[in-house]
Amino acid sequence: MARHHPPINFLTDYAAGALPTAQAACVYAHAVCCEPCRRIVGQLQDIGSALFNQLAPIPVSDKVLDCVLVRLDDPAPLRYRDNRAAANECPPLPGLLARIMNGDFSELAWKRITKSLSVSCLKVGDIAHEFALYRITAGGQIPEHNHGGSEMTLVLQGGFSDDSGVYHPGDFLYRQGLDTHAPLAIDGEGCICLTVLDAPLRFTRLRHRWMNPFLQLRVG
Amino acid sequence: MARLSIGCNFERLLYALRYDVWGVVMAKLSTIDAPVAAGSTSSLQQYAGRRTDEWSERLVLVGEQQDRAAFTQFFRHFAPLIKAFALSGSTMSAIHADELVQEVMIKVWQKASGFNPEKAAASTWVYTIARNCRTDMFRRLQKFETAIAAEDLEFDEAAEGPFSVLHSHRGAERIRELMADLPPDQAQILGKVYMEGKSHSEAAAELDLPLGTVKSRVRLAIQKLQVQFGTQ
Repeated sequence: MARHHPPINFLTDYAAGALPTAQAACVYAHAVCCEPCRRIVGQLQDIGSALFNQLAPIPVSDKVLDCVLVRLDDPAPLRYRDNRAAANECPPLPGLLARIMNGDFSELAWKRITKSLSVSCLKVGDIAHEFALYRITAGGQIPEHNHGGSEMTLVLQGGFSDDSGVYHPGDFLYRQGLDTHAPLAIDGEGCICLTVLDAPLRFTRLRHRWMNPFLQLRVG
Repeated sequence: MARLSIGCNFERLLYALRYDVWGVVMAKLSTIDAPVAAGSTSSLQQYAGRRTDEWSERLVLVGEQQDRAAFTQFFRHFAPLIKAFALSGSTMSAIHADELVQEVMIKVWQKASGFNPEKAAASTWVYTIARNCRTDMFRRLQKFETAIAAEDLEFDEAAEGPFSVLHSHRGAERIRELMADLPPDQAQILGKVYMEGKSHSEAAAELDLPLGTVKSRVRLAIQKLQVQFGTQ
């Protein structure tokens, strides 16, 4: 049961379909395993529905109706939807993520950043955000950093702590700008997080700062 | 008990008179199972949760009987709303808006059998399809290659527990009443986010307001609309 949830503004944008793909996928991956958030999103969608039904109708020509009626007998496309049973399958991984990863964690290409931190970028089709998995080895620490932009994090496996708390699978965090933290993986277990960034991390300690020019955002 | 059921039937009759023939058909159908529904607590609860508005009833007919007449009526009501939704605050051309109408209505036909009036009202169900199709169409028009369709980020309501209802029972109607009392600045921002599909930050940029102001207006608005959020 997650104890850290997305802020209400993200849930609202999510319900309205206004979040960029990468961020929406991250909020989804949290909420699909979090009943209270799904309930809130449901109510937020009711607001969308009310607004939708209040719109001033714009006439649609009968030709459009005819086109639709003719196409009703076309066979329905087979939709690839393996996240169907996801609500019952958490943890370890929401079905959608499993599909994007196309394998499990060990089969991904991990790029080593420091001794205890590796990153694997996934493609979701978002031109402004990096959608990546961050892996911290057991007891390892991500060097202290802040963010040029914003960072959404969802703990998928293991756990970590920073100055503000301890985070376990399902927990959702949002950090931005000058919020500085140095996540430390919980002893005894490594930690894997899903992270959505709109600007690269910036290491803040002298010892690591030389790496900053190499920390590029890999959107896609 | 007898008086109660007469009262119910009378209400149904009135309802049927107010609406058209489909209302009558459904009223007849639902009188058949009414005594059963009154029998046990659990089916009573289900009964209370079941949407009986005219559009939900028509959608059930489309799903269960592939009823084209019901579908046509559904189209005549919702297509103009979908078109208005397509064109609100966007640069979408009228041709693309009509294309979106077609796409949404064909999805309505194909997915109607999965519609469950106990989980949501038809109007909310159509809105989410329209929203997803619009998101995907925007991406297509901007030539985004995306591995995720908007529909992939939809929760599967069928998998929710029997008494778990995500949408508020009072639903859109109650929200509409409350909405009438929203201050204009809050209503305006809700429109930007929901109907125009702008995120909080995009809405802030467009209205030339600080992000914090947009956030707090939306927050106040959804509080007034009685969305229950605790820790967020």
